[in-house]
Amino acid sequence: MRPETIQRLSEIVGKDNIYTALEDLYCYTYDASFVKADLNTDLAGVAVYPGSTEEIARIIKIANQEKIPIVPRGAGTNVSGGSVSLGNCIILVLKRMNKILEIDRKNLIAVVEPGVITAQLQGEAEKMGLFYPPDPASQAFSTMGGNVAECAGGPRGVKYGVTRDYVIGLEVVLPSGEVINTGGRTMKNVTGYDMTKLFTGSEGTLCVITKIIVKLIPLPEAKNTMMAVFPEIAQACETVSEIIAAGLVPCALELLDNIYIKNIEEYAKVGLPIDAGAVLLIEVDGDSEILGKQIRKIEQICKGLGAVQIRIASTQMEAEELWRARRSAFAAVSRLRPTIIGEDATVPRSSIPDAVNRIQAIAAKYDLIIAILGHAGDGNLHATILTDETNVEEMARVEKAINEIFIVTVELGGSLSGEHGIGRAKSKFITLQTGEAGLAVQRQIKQALDPHNLLNPGVMFGA
Amino acid sequence: MNRSLESWQNEAIRCIRCGACQNVCPVFKELQVESTVARGRVKLIRGVINKDLDLSEGLIDKMSLCLMCKACVANCPSGVKVDKLVEAARKEIAEKKGLSPLKNLVFRLVLKNRWIFDTGMRTGRFFQGLVFRKGPEGQGVLPRMSLGIDKRRLLSPLAQKTFKSLYPEVVNVPEAKMKVAFFTGCMINYIYTDTGRAVINVLKKNGVEVRIPALQNCCGTPVRINGDYETAKTMAKANIDVLLKENYDSVVVACGTCGLSLKEEYAELLQDDPIYLEKAKKLGSIVKDFTELVVALEGFQDKMGHLPLKVTYHDPCHLARGLRVKAQPRKIIRSIPGVVFQEMDKADTCCGSGGSFSLYHYELSTKINDHKVNTIKQTGAELLVTGCSACRMHIADGLNRQGISVQVMHTAQLIEMAYESKQRKDNEKFGGIGGKGLG
Repeated sequence: MRPETIQRLSEIVGKDNIYTALEDLYCYTYDASFVKADLNTDLAGVAVYPGSTEEIARIIKIANQEKIPIVPRGAGTNVSGGSVSLGNCIILVLKRMNKILEIDRKNLIAVVEPGVITAQLQGEAEKMGLFYPPDPASQAFSTMGGNVAECAGGPRGVKYGVTRDYVIGLEVVLPSGEVINTGGRTMKNVTGYDMTKLFTGSEGTLCVITKIIVKLIPLPEAKNTMMAVFPEIAQACETVSEIIAAGLVPCALELLDNIYIKNIEEYAKVGLPIDAGAVLLIEVDGDSEILGKQIRKIEQICKGLGAVQIRIASTQMEAEELWRARRSAFAAVSRLRPTIIGEDATVPRSSIPDAVNRIQAIAAKYDLIIAILGHAGDGNLHATILTDETNVEEMARVEKAINEIFIVTVELGGSLSGEHGIGRAKSKFITLQTGEAGLAVQRQIKQALDPHNLLNPGVMFGA
Repeated sequence: MNRSLESWQNEAIRCIRCGACQNVCPVFKELQVESTVARGRVKLIRGVINKDLDLSEGLIDKMSLCLMCKACVANCPSGVKVDKLVEAARKEIAEKKGLSPLKNLVFRLVLKNRWIFDTGMRTGRFFQGLVFRKGPEGQGVLPRMSLGIDKRRLLSPLAQKTFKSLYPEVVNVPEAKMKVAFFTGCMINYIYTDTGRAVINVLKKNGVEVRIPALQNCCGTPVRINGDYETAKTMAKANIDVLLKENYDSVVVACGTCGLSLKEEYAELLQDDPIYLEKAKKLGSIVKDFTELVVALEGFQDKMGHLPLKVTYHDPCHLARGLRVKAQPRKIIRSIPGVVFQEMDKADTCCGSGGSFSLYHYELSTKINDHKVNTIKQTGAELLVTGCSACRMHIADGLNRQGISVQVMHTAQLIEMAYESKQRKDNEKFGGIGGKGLG
């Protein structure tokens, strides 16, 4: 990058908030996905940490004049390669803009800057008896800006939906450098196109998010947690469908397959039968008086469909113990192989048994270990490929397996990604789902807002 | 351990870059830059291994920006040993680029050679008045001139007499129920002799015979974590020989860092030396933190008198995440009659000291310390107890900077106070001569 450009950027953000050393820039060549930027071609030119919307607008105007690509970034925890550097780009890190501007008890909304950590907002809301439900696994360290840009989901999606269901207004800086506000503080709003929903999940390709208005809901009074063990994964899948069909809506419905069960038991000794086909972890929340009744109904369904072991937590401690199995899942399988690739294919809930079968067949075909863990309640399966990235031959098989998983997902009427995003990791598959005409429409939207392709080029639509 | 940096590749690739370390890394909390969090450090180390990066000044600086507090290790879903990776990188740097001249002098000449260390520290005592001035309320000393150390830095003065010169090698008790060796560590020997005295008094009172082997050295951790393995090995072997010379029921430490090196890290360090590896394991099996030993002594709490104090406790990194000692000091504090124990928020977050880290990165180290001081202040406690002399010094410095009058002491000193309180009461009751303290 030209020294004059760096000088101009430095004048905007201050010399303490700009980084140009190789060792610093090297640390923006990755995010939490397996996508890595090539050091020789895709090292960023500079990383800047702006402190205000106005600074961002000025930075974008410079980028516009000089046609420099911009990669916006929060905590860099996305799992689709949405925030890795591009050759000579500006990495725009929003972590300094980290204030909760207000939590409005009367209107049940919160207004936050993009760098606020999701769990921090949740903690502050809870102190006021309010609830911001989206719960990506990274909630303790990911940012609200990143969550909105990726439309993050989580286990609670089955009952409470995802980030998009809570964002009602945004302040954004457009690729031109102009600042606009979308949506607002009202629950109803049909003035013009729904730009708020368009920008949510736009993966940093249409705008830089600088302020977020989310709606909050009352904090559920209590929770009840149970675990059911099934000899066959098909029985667990059927149970999921039955629970949903019975009109019961748990706030978490997590499925673990046999590979996970075996490893969790070896690692954490939580008392799971190692020959079990699947485990369901189920949690209901709401008014404490009705929870017991709901859990009993779910218990009946589980027993009716062949559960061999059911544990219902009667205290908070016991609930924690049940969750310990789920939480140690990752650490448990990471002992098997050094590299873990988490996929995110999502299918209609009724297709879960089919999807599981076909993923297992793909694993056998390419001689790979693919474990399945999923937010089964919303059809969001996380096929986890356990491999070794230093083994070139095996990685080639991994790539083929991933391709086939995507094809199967779309065949089953599902989505390439439930909550991880397309990023760079899945951009070449996007037409599988959108079709050529569908992709053309999306490209036209991108072209209209970002004619010089400056914001996160390559993400979503490929190079 | 003679592993090459390359051999750590398999540990490094286990990092899945999830970013969970951002939530716990004290350095990242201040700097917020990706290259200063565990995930970034691991990536930089991989960069060196696969030859993307050189051991440049910039890289050396990034590697120095780690407190070795192990918070990332404890919170990593894949359990990546980031501290070991950083240590391996520092070893590579020390071997290929050499240590800084100051570190070279201190590690190779002073810490390694007990007599030079002793002489230096004794001489230091005479001259420290020229260089340091007394801190407010007579606590600690502040540098009068620049020593490469910040002038605001409150350091504790060197003791008038070293701890080991104050006590005989054997502290006898009648009908001893066990015999232990006390590994003092440098800070207790040269600075906080009051902690050492308390350890001896409390153990004596419980019928434990304490030996203080005269030939013990620095544990070697400051040398090892800065990458100088050869010196560290020499020091480890010397300590192993000294501490295994006689049969002890336990080797007691009052410092988590020394304790962890004796208990686990010597065996890692001496992996390639079959004879010393066995010895290191044998030593490791009998090492106990002072509080671990105390809670296992029958009736330790019966000798405690009333102390009307509000107390909070700070977990030293290497005691909590190294030796996994968290419950024992709390049990001790709660068992003292009259003491109100108030847990602070995030008691096991690093105080920012990191040994030599606080000398080389003082500004940053004080920023990290400010959070600790604030959480201490929020408890309303009048006394902060901890199990590490380096934490004690760094937190006392922070409290001083912010003008907060909270006393700081080692867990052993609090027990000593409680024992003295009962002794005084008993003396009054039985008309004895009070004030003689423990005996």
